[in-house]
Amino acid sequence: MTPPPRGATRLVARAFRGDPAAAAILGDLNEDFVRVLESRGRTAARLWYWREALGLVSGRLFHGLIRSLRDAAALRPGPLAGDAAHAARMLRRSPGFALFVGAVIGLGVGAVTTVYSVLKPLALALPFEDAHQLVWISNEAPGDSSLSAVTQRTTNLVDFRARTRSFSGITGYDAFFADRAYILAGAGGPERLVGVEVAHDFLDVLGVRPLHGRGFTTEEGQRGGPAAVILSHRLWRDRFASDRAIVGRGVTLNGTPHTVVGVLPASFDFSSVFKPGVEVDVLLPFVVARDNAFQGNILALIGRLRPGVTPEAARAELTALIAALGEEDPERWGLGAELETLQEHLAGPFRGSLVLLAAAAGVLLLVVCVSVSGLMLARSPSRAREMAVRKALGAPRGRLMRQLVLETLGISLVGAAFGSLIARLATGLVRNAAMIHIPLMDSVRLDTSALLVAAGVAVLTGVVVGTIPALQVAEGGEAGVLQAASRGSSASRGARRLREGLVVAEVALACALLVVGGLLLASFRAVLDVDLGYEPEGTMAWRLQPDAEFGSPQERSAFFSDLAERVRRTPGIESAGLVDALPLGRNRAWPFRGVVGRSRQEDTDEEVFPHVIGPGYLRTMRIPLAAGRNISPADGEGSTPVVLLNQTGARRIFGGAEEALGRRLRFWGNWEWEVVGVARDVRHLSPETGSGIEVYFPHAQMPDFRTMELVVRSGLPAAQVVATVSGVLEEVDPGMPRREFWSLEATLRGAVSERPFALGILSAFGAAALLLAALGIYGVLAQTVAEREPEIGIRMALGASAPDIVRRVLGRMLLLTAGGIAAGWGLSLLFSDVLDSVLFGVAPIDPRAFLGTACVLLAVAALAAGLPAHRAVSTEASRVLNAG
Amino acid sequence: MSRVGEFEFLVLLAVLRQAEAPYANRVREDLEQNAGRRVTRGALYRTIDRLVEKGFLAWELQPSEVPERGGHPMRRLLVTEDGLETARETRAVLATFLDGLEPVLGEA
Repeated sequence: MTPPPRGATRLVARAFRGDPAAAAILGDLNEDFVRVLESRGRTAARLWYWREALGLVSGRLFHGLIRSLRDAAALRPGPLAGDAAHAARMLRRSPGFALFVGAVIGLGVGAVTTVYSVLKPLALALPFEDAHQLVWISNEAPGDSSLSAVTQRTTNLVDFRARTRSFSGITGYDAFFADRAYILAGAGGPERLVGVEVAHDFLDVLGVRPLHGRGFTTEEGQRGGPAAVILSHRLWRDRFASDRAIVGRGVTLNGTPHTVVGVLPASFDFSSVFKPGVEVDVLLPFVVARDNAFQGNILALIGRLRPGVTPEAARAELTALIAALGEEDPERWGLGAELETLQEHLAGPFRGSLVLLAAAAGVLLLVVCVSVSGLMLARSPSRAREMAVRKALGAPRGRLMRQLVLETLGISLVGAAFGSLIARLATGLVRNAAMIHIPLMDSVRLDTSALLVAAGVAVLTGVVVGTIPALQVAEGGEAGVLQAASRGSSASRGARRLREGLVVAEVALACALLVVGGLLLASFRAVLDVDLGYEPEGTMAWRLQPDAEFGSPQERSAFFSDLAERVRRTPGIESAGLVDALPLGRNRAWPFRGVVGRSRQEDTDEEVFPHVIGPGYLRTMRIPLAAGRNISPADGEGSTPVVLLNQTGARRIFGGAEEALGRRLRFWGNWEWEVVGVARDVRHLSPETGSGIEVYFPHAQMPDFRTMELVVRSGLPAAQVVATVSGVLEEVDPGMPRREFWSLEATLRGAVSERPFALGILSAFGAAALLLAALGIYGVLAQTVAEREPEIGIRMALGASAPDIVRRVLGRMLLLTAGGIAAGWGLSLLFSDVLDSVLFGVAPIDPRAFLGTACVLLAVAALAAGLPAHRAVSTEASRVLNAG
Repeated sequence: MSRVGEFEFLVLLAVLRQAEAPYANRVREDLEQNAGRRVTRGALYRTIDRLVEKGFLAWELQPSEVPERGGHPMRRLLVTEDGLETARETRAVLATFLDGLEPVLGEA
């Protein structure tokens, strides 16, 4: 006859060990099993048995725990102090153990608390009042992250404000603020400030209260209104020495007097929220008027929903309004409204990384749990004996439970303290890492809620995992424990298997973390290895905003060309060029109106990315030409308007580089631009994003640009280049700020800063997991060797050689490690989906990461096993046998 | 009903009903078939343990020759004097409360 599944009967037998009814219970199960077998067949019966067994066992464990806790709680509060004292005594008796377990718990607590603190401002709680009411209103569906797609025209804001009811306020700021510059005159020399023009109600809608003074008034937000400015907390502190009296006084910006009406609080840093990586110094009023629409999609709109209005309802109202506006004016351009919560908008691009970090912290916490279980288990035989003795002497079960729980609580508190310390250090590092261009990273703090998380995680880990010995108490069976103790057998085969199982689990989890870390590393390197289309090494850039007045745009253009030419002629400078927007800088789009001589239908209605350059730009950036010629000084005001296309543009519009040459394009107005050359593609938006259609206009033919960027290539050390260029700038225009320069390599690092950030945190997690796995391997092996010393002694006395013994000891360990690695590989495949959105240039199943991790783990396992193996070999047969 | 809960009372009665074979599996079948409720194995064992603790039930192991039991013994359940007394009390309480409710509840 088919017997019931052996594993399940064993499970039941083990769970009911010590219960006098155990055999009868197994009999009951057996009897019903036979009945099910006859009526439903073998497979169904086995399944049925497993279900019954699992139900029985889990119910028993659960009710046992509940009962023990109830017993413990039912004790009068009187002895609580005594129990706490007892627990403290037990901890003092083995302080090393308590500290060590506390430190291990601290690793997990630190990881979870750090990740919680990092996620909190961005993903959990934006630092605004009722932040859930704040929404981002973009022009096109989320997904297209180009600035033109997420911004709106001024006319739209005017209509949205007047004709919707879902919002208590809609405000906006000039998303292209980085293009405008403000020069602050006064003591300390001219200083170039970054200013953002915001709608007058910007602070009100966000719910930000100025530290001093007030926000803008309606009059200040009107054309010709009083010139007002609000200072950032940083500028107020650094430039105005935190002088409260500055409110109401005047400052000169771009030669115009402005009144300082307010100072922002330290808690609101515009750039940290909306444009990480740029330091915003002042807010200025933006004129929200219909006649401002010519500027195109430049406003970033933020709305605050009325209480009780859902984003869906607001979206529906906007959609209806857009349809109505479209009907009223079919010619209207740039109509569109898509709505997402501000939190979604800000956190969206980093969702993959954030999910990955949270998952990794969870995995590390699991490693910690497994590791602490192993430690507790290693200690449990002696604890079980102690408990059995005390119980046999009449201590109530609840009392023992309570003491154990209190003891574990003590260890957990040590863990919470360690964890908070780690989290404090880690959040400090994150906050001060200037290169991280992720919103709100400088609001990352270890606050009260984070400390509560730390304490909660520590207690949960400690109590859940540390109650294993307590469960043994709850299970009773002290007679068995005492018998085993008197026989002197310390660990049964089952206990060893369990410990080995824990090691496999630790290795598996560590393996998964390391594989993910390896993939991120490979991905980061792939990003750095990307062919950007230009060479950032050895180049520096200056933002040029002349102080001098010019009679005409042409004069200004000539000033810029002359300046670039002078820099180029300076000894040590290889080349110099002018451009209005360097790669990885700003983002914008112009409409493309088609090829002259072709009907509109044939043409792509894509937008183009415009660059305005001087003749030396392509050479300085080392952007090669694929066809045709470069622009030259001869392409000036009076000559034919010419442009260069990038390769993608030539291919999409004309099918190829050669085909593009000589054709003419329209962008706006009736101007026609002849394509004279095709430049190689450049990764402008980010190293990970391919190129769209890009067009290079000669600055001399489009001179209406007040601010340009000067890029300089030189083999000289950076400090020398800076000194040289500064000298030229001062000579040409003493009033022009000279301090705003940067290296293109630094810009590149900033653009990919999310990667080393996630990579750094994950590497730390992986290293911690690896360490814990190594400790686990060492612990199990050391204990096994200690237990098997007599056996090893006998073997050696019988002539087994040292290498034999080492092979035995190590072989088992490598087998376990290999099992763990295989399981870990499987586990890391679970991460594939989220990894897919984060990785670049590397598949989530990249064999290098998997094999590399396996090598690392095997090496670490061999190292960790080395010491116990050595001890096994140096076992002296005579000593062991005498002791036995 | 103060000394036993509803399910405990049913288990006591079911044990009494199995005069010939008062074993857990029979008790469970009786409850499932005649009380119209699903009884999980764990719940029944826990209730038996609780009744034993309260002193209303006792049991003894009996070797079993039934081949289906795979050589495992059987647990013969026995309602104690205290248990019988409790069952009588509970019945009396129920009777008192049911008395006169026929117009509302109808005849049993």
